[in-house]
Amino acid sequence: MPQNIPFGVQTPDPQSALRIKSLVHRYQRGDHPVIQIDDLTLQSGEQGVLTGSSGSGKSTLLNLIAGLMDPSEGTIEIAGTNIHALRGPGRDRFRGRSVGMVFQTHHLLTGFSALENVLAALMFSDIPRADHRDRGRELLDTLGIPTPDQRVERLSIGQQQRVAIARALACKPALVLADEPTASLDPDNAQVALDLLQDACRASNAALLCVTHDHRFVDRFDRHEHLISPLEQLQGALEGA
Amino acid sequence: MSMSDWNIVTRSMRTRTFSSIVTILSVAIAVGLVTLLISMRDAGENSFKRGTGNVQMLISKEAGPLPSVLNSMFYASPPTTPITWGQYLELKRSYPFAWTVPTQLGDSYMDAPVMGTDGSFFTDFEPALGSKWELATGAYFDAPFQVVVGADASARLGLDLGDSVALEHGAPRSEGGHVHDEFNFEVVGILEPTGTAHDRALFTSLESSWIIHAHDRREAIFGHGITTGINDLLDEDMKITGVYASLGERKGALVQVLSALLRDPNWTVASPADTVGNLFSIVSNIDQVLLAMAIAVMLSSGVSILLALYNSMEQRRKQIAVLRVLGASRKRVFSMVLTESAIIGLLGGALGIALSILGGVIVTNVLAQRVGIVIEPALPLDGYLMIVLASVALSCVAGVLPAIVAYRTSVVRALRPAM
Repeated sequence: MPQNIPFGVQTPDPQSALRIKSLVHRYQRGDHPVIQIDDLTLQSGEQGVLTGSSGSGKSTLLNLIAGLMDPSEGTIEIAGTNIHALRGPGRDRFRGRSVGMVFQTHHLLTGFSALENVLAALMFSDIPRADHRDRGRELLDTLGIPTPDQRVERLSIGQQQRVAIARALACKPALVLADEPTASLDPDNAQVALDLLQDACRASNAALLCVTHDHRFVDRFDRHEHLISPLEQLQGALEGA
Repeated sequence: MSMSDWNIVTRSMRTRTFSSIVTILSVAIAVGLVTLLISMRDAGENSFKRGTGNVQMLISKEAGPLPSVLNSMFYASPPTTPITWGQYLELKRSYPFAWTVPTQLGDSYMDAPVMGTDGSFFTDFEPALGSKWELATGAYFDAPFQVVVGADASARLGLDLGDSVALEHGAPRSEGGHVHDEFNFEVVGILEPTGTAHDRALFTSLESSWIIHAHDRREAIFGHGITTGINDLLDEDMKITGVYASLGERKGALVQVLSALLRDPNWTVASPADTVGNLFSIVSNIDQVLLAMAIAVMLSSGVSILLALYNSMEQRRKQIAVLRVLGASRKRVFSMVLTESAIIGLLGGALGIALSILGGVIVTNVLAQRVGIVIEPALPLDGYLMIVLASVALSCVAGVLPAIVAYRTSVVRALRPAM
């Protein structure tokens, strides 16, 4: 069973898949920080889990890492590149190639087939176009989708989850971010989904950062960090006083 | 095969098939209307002017120049006020005409008008300026009870050389008309098409026409069963309804004769080309209103594109956000929405051109049947291309606002799980 190691004690590695340094994020200038992380590193192939109560900023952190939001302070490097130093299309392109995302509700493109959903991700990759279809089929086959040409809305929830994982891994990203991937599943299916996600990331040597409020699965990850919400921080401070 | 922006755009349109089709149709109808109006505007006037041929003056006893031209040259309805043969001869003697052609209208075959005239109709009168009459087959009439058939009438009524026809006294489908089956007319010639109203008419000698009229008069006196021949004609039977005239190259004489005839209360004189021009200057006001309406329809179709795309943005916000997560830039999703608008404009424009051509054929047939005008509402190829380009441009303009919505879509907000 992997051991839970706090992120903050890792030695920074220039080859790391993810490196967060002195990150502070406030919703508005002058607010109390909603996220404060001194140092957080994930090596290639490592798998970490972030837990925390609602409002602790778990999803916000993922958005910051994906470059969908800008932090108030600090840097986030993905495979050695500070994503927030990139602007406009450059950041979008980098995200497409380096970060895969899996969502709680999958967010697949409806009206498109399973294969087309994976191909849509490959549109923005460095992989030669001639190889897209083969890579898409191979990924879906590995993840157990027997009907890659079927529209995603006709697939079961479990199959949709697999397509979402295939899409996240399509561009051979350095880092996969999973936002509550088991939240809408029963315990058995959640187990299966996590198995798939973790195995697929290991197979492609992508680092995985999974966000969940469910503590049952933390032992499955190499690392575990718990984010404390501003309210919890305030309560802690009041209790300390 | 890999995915492309094109695949995403077209698939996105297919997932909203009904809305996409309705929007494309609204553009097509607008483009079709505008194209038809533009193409018919010039074609109509040119065709009308072409139909006046080399006639410098149309002389009649009609109420005014416009009905005179419409009735005697375009077969709108039979002229109502006759000219006696004596008056015609007197007119001919009084002025230095280069040529005159007497015409008599009032009979028909099936729904085609029949003109009584003489040989000068085929020798002096040119149906279209610079184009003389030509026979497709047979010969011109040279005796009573022979008819020469216009190209369109021949095709529509299935008339061929040697066929026998019985004329109806009265205009096509008119009340009180009756068929003179006691007189058999033989088809002796079929004319080549001229692209004028004359193509849908039949032509026979004045004598034939007069004999039919004389027969009616004589039957009223002597009863049924009599025969009527050329020797039974009286002065009162020998009437015409119009005179095509020209003074040739003598422009000065033309002005003098026109002025003299205009002052003469016994005659109505019309310069056919000018009359047609005046008609179109009147019609052009309506035409401009129609054009303005068509442009308004075009603009409203632009608004419908805007609304269709804007409304679809609500359901597509998530799709756009997912594409952004996958690596699409803001500019790229902006251009995808604009591409969708352009496709709507392109398909709507192309379909509109097809509709305008179809509409042109229908209008052409209706005008040929009812008014006798053969118009060819067509634009040059670059004209059609310009219209399609304009449709694409208008659609793109209409797509800018939805594209801005796509550009500004907040990925974080759009992908936030519903609470």
